[in-house]
Amino acid sequence: MLERAGVPTVSICTDAFVVPARAMADVYGAPEFEFVTIPHPIASLSPPQIEANVRPVITEVVRILAGG
Amino acid sequence: MDGAPAGLPVIDVDAVRRVLEEYAERGWTDGLPVMPVTESYLAEFLEQTSRGPDEVLLSMPHLNRACTVRVAAINAAMAGCRPEYFPVVLAAWSALEAEGYVTRGIWQSTTGTAPMLLVNGPIREQLGLNSKGNVFGSGFRANATIGRAIRLTAINAFGLRPRELDQATQGNPAKYTACIAENEEESPWPPFHVEHGFDASESTVTAMTMRSVVHIEARHTTVPEQLGRDLADTVRRTGALIHETISACIALGPEHASLFAGAGWTKDDVRRFVYEHAVNSREALAAVGKDAVSGKTRWRLSSEHPDATADTAAEQGSGNVVSVLNSEQAVQIVVAGAQNAGVSAVIETFGPRGGPPATATVESASA
Repeated sequence: MLERAGVPTVSICTDAFVVPARAMADVYGAPEFEFVTIPHPIASLSPPQIEANVRPVITEVVRILAGG
Repeated sequence: MDGAPAGLPVIDVDAVRRVLEEYAERGWTDGLPVMPVTESYLAEFLEQTSRGPDEVLLSMPHLNRACTVRVAAINAAMAGCRPEYFPVVLAAWSALEAEGYVTRGIWQSTTGTAPMLLVNGPIREQLGLNSKGNVFGSGFRANATIGRAIRLTAINAFGLRPRELDQATQGNPAKYTACIAENEEESPWPPFHVEHGFDASESTVTAMTMRSVVHIEARHTTVPEQLGRDLADTVRRTGALIHETISACIALGPEHASLFAGAGWTKDDVRRFVYEHAVNSREALAAVGKDAVSGKTRWRLSSEHPDATADTAAEQGSGNVVSVLNSEQAVQIVVAGAQNAGVSAVIETFGPRGGPPATATVESASA
């Protein structure tokens, strides 16, 4: 919805939520919507562990934001 | 054998099986067989209400989906409801909308809640809704199919299929069906709907968002304070805490209700006692890593977590005592079950923590 309002957007979810995320994208008529996924879980991790999971996907986040 | 035994209708069993398999293959079921629905059978349901078939009962804007009276009727028929049950199903949808969690995505949550319906008033007797023995169990068509009608509609109208839009980690058994009636006849207090401003001659459905039904054994006591502490101990359990506080509906067995009433306790007295005793010590919360809240989400976490901030109890200087309820109104009380043992249950709800319950009236047959 933000994208449709002209705001570059990227959704990041853990791999446990890829199927429901895809289902929601279908509901909104955007089956091609791109997600970035990181390993599950998040809630029980320390900040350094989260950073370690996020670092590998940063280039992917930037690529999607840039419309690549 | 030639033909069917005398007096029995002739049906093509293979055709019935093909229909049931077709419904299952299309994903239109909860896993159990459903009743095939024809236009003429559907019409019998629609005749039960003054509401038009295209009237929208409930919308989920975030899913771009809505449920009409017609779609609700189809699913009620598929669930095995008799047509005369349909006004109760419609009232359930009104109550669910009023309750508010459903339209905010709670049925998609990992928590895996289920709608719990409570029926009051004369419609219980008219439809044979069970309020007594095995009230949470199986064996009663009206209870079984009215609750199931909600689930099938969630699946078929809103697309809330498990592992897709429904992300429940485990779900709970009530996701097949959960509809009870209050045992008004064996309750020492006014019925639930009368307590909340309805007339005894009205029939109502109250909707709750439930996480679990926790069983309480207390056959041993005749002391209301002992029983009250057993109830409060179940309400306060730390495993129930994701947010700072919780809500609960206590389903008292008639024996327990009589114990309280015999000691002169009103429903409000029970509510107040549970509210005052449903507390954890700061140490007990620390022992499970729930002694603070996240500054971002206000979900409970350890005071050692980098996002931790003081919970409301700490902010208010309540010392070592942390209540799990934010008000007496966060506890609802109903009477349900058989008059045969000192057994009750706490229905753990995700819902209003205070304020009135979400109750809707059942349209009368003469409408």
